[in-house]
Amino acid sequence: MADDLKTPWEYPFESATEELIGFADGAIDGRPAGIPSSYDRGGSIRWTPESISEIHALSQLGRYQIRGFNTFNKSFPTLDDLVFVPATMTRLPLEGYRESCDTRTVLGDRPGLVEQPLELDIPIYIASMSFGALSAPAKAALGYGASKVGSMTCTGEGGMLEDERRASRTLVYQMTPSRYMLDLEHLRKANAIELVVGQGAKPGTGGLLLGMKVSDRVADMRSLPTGVDQRSTVRHPDFLGADDMQIKIEELREATDYQVPIFLKMGATRPRWDVAIAAKAGVDVIVVDGAEGGTGASPELLMDHTGIPTMSAIPAAREALEDCGKADEVKLVAAGGIRSGADAAKCLALGADAVMVGLGSMIALGCNSPRYLESYQTLGTSPGRCHHCHTGLCPVGVATQDPELESRVDVAAASERVARYLTAMTMEISLLAKSCGKSSVHNLEKEDLRALSTEASAFTGVKMAGIDKPFTW
Amino acid sequence: MGSKDMTNRVEIAAGDRPVKEINRDIRSQVQAGKPIVVTNTMSRHNLGVGLPASADILFEGSVGYYCGGLNDGARIHVTRDCGWGVGEAMATGDITIDGYAGMSVGASMRGGTIHVKGDAGPRCGVAMKGGDIIVEGTIGYLSGFMAHAGRIIALGGANDAAADSLWGGEVWVAGPIGSLGVDSKIIEPAPTEVASVEKLLAQRGLDGPGRDWQKIVSAQRLWHFESRDARAWLMI
Repeated sequence: MADDLKTPWEYPFESATEELIGFADGAIDGRPAGIPSSYDRGGSIRWTPESISEIHALSQLGRYQIRGFNTFNKSFPTLDDLVFVPATMTRLPLEGYRESCDTRTVLGDRPGLVEQPLELDIPIYIASMSFGALSAPAKAALGYGASKVGSMTCTGEGGMLEDERRASRTLVYQMTPSRYMLDLEHLRKANAIELVVGQGAKPGTGGLLLGMKVSDRVADMRSLPTGVDQRSTVRHPDFLGADDMQIKIEELREATDYQVPIFLKMGATRPRWDVAIAAKAGVDVIVVDGAEGGTGASPELLMDHTGIPTMSAIPAAREALEDCGKADEVKLVAAGGIRSGADAAKCLALGADAVMVGLGSMIALGCNSPRYLESYQTLGTSPGRCHHCHTGLCPVGVATQDPELESRVDVAAASERVARYLTAMTMEISLLAKSCGKSSVHNLEKEDLRALSTEASAFTGVKMAGIDKPFTW
Repeated sequence: MGSKDMTNRVEIAAGDRPVKEINRDIRSQVQAGKPIVVTNTMSRHNLGVGLPASADILFEGSVGYYCGGLNDGARIHVTRDCGWGVGEAMATGDITIDGYAGMSVGASMRGGTIHVKGDAGPRCGVAMKGGDIIVEGTIGYLSGFMAHAGRIIALGGANDAAADSLWGGEVWVAGPIGSLGVDSKIIEPAPTEVASVEKLLAQRGLDGPGRDWQKIVSAQRLWHFESRDARAWLMI
């Protein structure tokens, strides 16, 4: 018996055909296994068509699934669980259509350290999304649209695109760990520099750009072979911890002669501690990107199972700045799943000084718009449901490097839509602020909010509606 | 190659002055077209950052982190040792370290040459995108990690995980290699490539008789997502 155990183990099969592994026998044409729409709706809350399809996909691929967009985890709380409680008897509202409400937003105002703080007309700007993830016309349209309304954009990973620098009056230059095309001239042309230690959609991992989008131009900017599946580093090449980063920040200030603010972007995980450490390391602006944040491509499980909601991260980050005595010096930007002026206003009330919108601005460009339906059909999806940024086959030309597809972005029209979207969001924020009696959007506070669920109250410390007490532990 | 000739060099004493002040002094002398010697360096961080091609600086002593960082053409010579990230993100220029170098020599540099006469620490040439790094001693573990292009030339051998996860570029080692990193392989260099490396070394006074070169390049198995590479992926 014991001898049997010593027999060398052998895999008894010849390699099966890919068709058989892919459930091709007896399958209906056009409805392969692994695609959720190939399954009828069952009753199990555990084994849903989605979870069955997921296992079929994993068992064919032998690796995790990758996609774009943002989390599909339905357990995330939403900012819809918070409502404003406008002025009634205890407070006086401002006239919505007659009295003014200041929306100007200053980031990096630190005399002695920053000669040229950023002065935006509105408290919203365009999130860091790379040229590579997005097409060049999309990047240009975001720049022109944001600049038209006194806002700004951020390069994202992959270097400074000339089209975007030309389009953007104010541009943040992002320094990710991969340092693609890091150039001193570009640093000095930027209005701010952002060190990235993580992003909300996939904290703790580096950038990902699949080969379909690594075109000659993208590859050239990133010094990569054309068409490789680019997985960027997650750790910076020349600093590890916060003490080293402090020296790195000084280097960046030296290289830019103390002209521009230094941002730090992090995925929201332990903001109460991470934000305090970043503030102590000396950055001027901290961007906390919640788990609802979007991405061009990510292992799906990271979007669905890592990071904490934006709503819960903002109050923790604000308290961290106050606790470490940096609230007056360091500005806080919130991001991750912000769709509308109402969402943005709630983020400001929870403690953010400004917000970033990524997917929202892409949707303004045309993402998921009901045009070019045959291109959606090729991807097996439809307008309103498309999340195929990772394929490079974006039906509307926003998240692609394909020359024919990207020509579907009309830069002038898309710029105008971005400008109008930001304007509308700002009007929404100031409408809410004025109803709460605030003459500046930055005066919105937690007291202006009430929670509709114990969960929202517990995450944020906002008082429960009616009972007027926060959930206590 | 930076010159150690002291004649005509304007002296700037570093000491414990704010680094902002020291670098402003350096920049104003560079603008005046003067070669510089920085004395009493006290291993200060961020000395000589982002300097143009007209700069010629001798650091007499040791320097801290990011000396010559974001270099845009300057000739820099350090007479003793340097800390992390010397010449990081250099576009062009020439940096010589007479002593030892810490971690991440030439991290993400795009061009120019860094010459370390002693040993270099871990992750030498990490994420580099061009240029040459010459190390007369050994290079530390994970040297060349995720480099894209350029050459790392180590005359005294390489530590463990050499050339780990290279995208591209070359790691040339004369001497023992502790172990190869993930997705790298040793190939026989072409005679013309050997001649090019030897020529570069000769320009630095490092011509030597018939070195036994091992040229490490990317095995390119991690360039694409493939489930058959799962084992290699799990090693990272």
